Amino acid sequence: MKLSNTSIAGFEGRSVTDADRGVLLTGLVGGACLLVAFGLFLSNSTLTVVPVSGFLAATAYGWFNHQAATVKSVTFLATVATTVILGLISIFLIARSIPVFQHMGIRIFGLTEPVRVFGVTLIPGVGELWSTSGDVYSLTPMIWGTLMTTVIAMLVAGPLGVAGAVFIAEIAPPTVRESVKPGIEILAGIPSIVYGWLGFVLISPFVYDHLGTPGLGNMAIVGVVIGLMALPTVVSVAEDALTSVPNSMKDGSLALGATDWQTIKGITMPASFSGVSAAVLLGVGRAVGETMAATVILSNVVQLPEPLYNVFGNTISLTSLIASQYGNADGMHMQALFAAGVVLFVSVMFLSIVSQAVESRMKRKLEGQA
Amino acid sequence: MSTVTNRSLRSDQGDGFVRLTDSVVGVGMTVIGLSVLAIARVITGDTAAFGLNVFEWVALALAAAGLTVVALGVGSFLGTFETTPEERGTVGPALGFGGIAFAAGGLTASQTLGLPLVVSLPAALVAGLAVGGFVTLAREDLGTTLPAGGLALLVGALVLADVVTAGWTWAPEGFSVTFPGYMVIPVLAVVASLVACWAAVSARSGFGAAGRQSAAYFLVGLNAIGMLVVLATLILFIGVKGFGRATQGIVFDPLAFEFRWPFVMDGYNFRPDVANGVFPAVVGTVWLVIGAVLVGVPLAVGAAVFLSEYAERGRFTQLVEVATNGLWSTPSVVFGLFGYAFLVPRFGNTTSLLSGMLVLGFMLLPLVTITSREAIKAVPDEYRDASAALGVSQWETIRSVVVPTALPGIVTGVILGVGRIAGETAPILLVMAGGLRDDAPSVIGSFQFVARPPFVVNDALLQSAPALPYQLYATITAGVSGNEEFGWATAFVLLAVVLSFYAIGVGTRIYFRRRLQHE
Repeated sequence: MKLSNTSIAGFEGRSVTDADRGVLLTGLVGGACLLVAFGLFLSNSTLTVVPVSGFLAATAYGWFNHQAATVKSVTFLATVATTVILGLISIFLIARSIPVFQHMGIRIFGLTEPVRVFGVTLIPGVGELWSTSGDVYSLTPMIWGTLMTTVIAMLVAGPLGVAGAVFIAEIAPPTVRESVKPGIEILAGIPSIVYGWLGFVLISPFVYDHLGTPGLGNMAIVGVVIGLMALPTVVSVAEDALTSVPNSMKDGSLALGATDWQTIKGITMPASFSGVSAAVLLGVGRAVGETMAATVILSNVVQLPEPLYNVFGNTISLTSLIASQYGNADGMHMQALFAAGVVLFVSVMFLSIVSQAVESRMKRKLEGQA
Repeated sequence: MSTVTNRSLRSDQGDGFVRLTDSVVGVGMTVIGLSVLAIARVITGDTAAFGLNVFEWVALALAAAGLTVVALGVGSFLGTFETTPEERGTVGPALGFGGIAFAAGGLTASQTLGLPLVVSLPAALVAGLAVGGFVTLAREDLGTTLPAGGLALLVGALVLADVVTAGWTWAPEGFSVTFPGYMVIPVLAVVASLVACWAAVSARSGFGAAGRQSAAYFLVGLNAIGMLVVLATLILFIGVKGFGRATQGIVFDPLAFEFRWPFVMDGYNFRPDVANGVFPAVVGTVWLVIGAVLVGVPLAVGAAVFLSEYAERGRFTQLVEVATNGLWSTPSVVFGLFGYAFLVPRFGNTTSLLSGMLVLGFMLLPLVTITSREAIKAVPDEYRDASAALGVSQWETIRSVVVPTALPGIVTGVILGVGRIAGETAPILLVMAGGLRDDAPSVIGSFQFVARPPFVVNDALLQSAPALPYQLYATITAGVSGNEEFGWATAFVLLAVVLSFYAIGVGTRIYFRRRLQHE
């Protein structure tokens, strides 16, 4: 390539300064344009288009004159973009929900009656859990709904998912594995609204007809459906963890006369335990954030089930609160929905970070570094 | 893995023994099949043959299987059958049977006899500990078969003695639910036959370590088959329900160059006499996917290249990794809220196709970043070294060696990611909306140049647009009654679109992996 000599110009004599200065200048112009564009976009200006074109022009110029350096900087910008998007999500979510957190204080987790421990009031009562006219927004029913559905979902997805992973990673002969694995992956591809549709027109009426529940839809159905949806995540991540156990460890056990199953139980499972739990945690994250199935199946009434553990009762979850109420929400009400989003986001982020830490710990351990 | 050893261990057992265990498994599988059909109400208590209804037949079969399992164990204990059981039971089965006994004892005491908790809890504990203790202390063949066969016998007897009939009901206190007998019997039958089959499979391999392996593999394999069956049922069911309406009135005449597919090529016209279609939603979904790919894929591939080729492993790459994985697990509705707060006010304060594209692009970003990184990582370092040894610069190496080699992996990642976002509903609910309508968004025809910034405007991009998943949701919220066929057909088309992305993606991956292995 003709241009390639500029990219390794660092080794030449005279052209060094020229090329470097050109690269620096182009980079500065491009970077400045991008920053200005970002600033203008945030301030909601139609002029954003000007610096954006400037950035594109700088990139195009760089591509033809300093290709290597341009690519490196542009890919760097793309990398930064990932972090920036996550940052923007956190900032916008939190900024929109701060007023309702200030308004409600600790009462955002309140019950109708004050919560007292040894006579000390921890959380004052809110009277009504959710009232748009009285500006009272307690997230307790939604958190409880999300918690219950997630627990049921993981009772389904946890054991079945880990067993499925063991089957694919350790038991299935190669030909069977080749067909089961894509099958599980396709299960992950079924859109959540399709599950919701099935739950709404099929399972809910069925349960209503045959199990005598008071109304259409309940937490048990949502939990099972979400469990089914989280299943592929658990299977594929747990399978990765199981296959990452070095063969030498398994061979050692087999050489001592243990059966394959004893090796799975005694060596593979304990060695990959943290990876498998990371898989289950990711599954929990999926279940917590699942929206459409819950929205469509639940009747989304803001109330706690009576009694609390009544999984056949109807309630609302954090996700279905947002999806079912955004349409007629404004002001403080909308901010309360954002607060629900913050609770969701924070808990899922927490799960994600914990599962990553657990997973990397397992990797270090298997490589013998911990 | 090593099935050879199992066979050699078992070869000294009589044919009769193996035939008995196999018959238990056969009967058990039949019972499970019938029970699943009964739970789905395909067959009901009215289905009868030879004077017995289906539940009684199931109970009879269960009792017979239970008796056979007990006979297997006793025969093994007395030395009639040559087996290699251990002297004591193991913890797993003891916990399992103990748990079943605890539940059964507790439920009988509290629900059937109506005893208070102070009495029923100790009773349940005693039952659980007794059975668990027996399984632990007895020789393995007895400890496995007696409780397993006993459970099947018990369930069979309960039904045959009319203690639990189809009309029987149980409404547990505190739960707003009533379990009828015609649901409870099949569920109990499934559990009992699973346990009986488990014991029979263990016996078939002569108990001991080999037996436990066979039994465990049996259950784990059954679980995998179950998952695939659920998957196939879901897809087939939607196919059967939606296919007819979705393909109604197709005209295909190659000679006259005529092709019409009313459901996919017509809009939603709100007239009762004309059949509705999903054309606008299909077009909307296509535009969404194109926009999301344009936004997400360059960013994702760029980030993947930078992370694996340029960046030194350190704080920065770790931060990006955490951020990528965080984005991957961020709930879709949170993306929707973000778009609502960040994008909607900046694009004319209304829901718009453009916001939908951007939000889905942001969702696509982590999916493609993760898979592209893996694909680039999988390129052997020898390739890079060989290229560098020829004096080729780093960027030239990336461009002509690394990216082309990793391209199949990247493409697969993009296809799978697109399949995922094409079915997303929650984010577009908040940022794009656009329900049932007659006309499709015309994006290409709407570009206009104006004299004031932003100089280029496109009304179609700045208006809300329909999309297949949202259309399905709109069908639900608009009230399903009378519209159910339309909903099934929409679900069918959506599923077909999404699953074909997945099938193509998975297929490409298998194809390229095969080719890589043959090289």
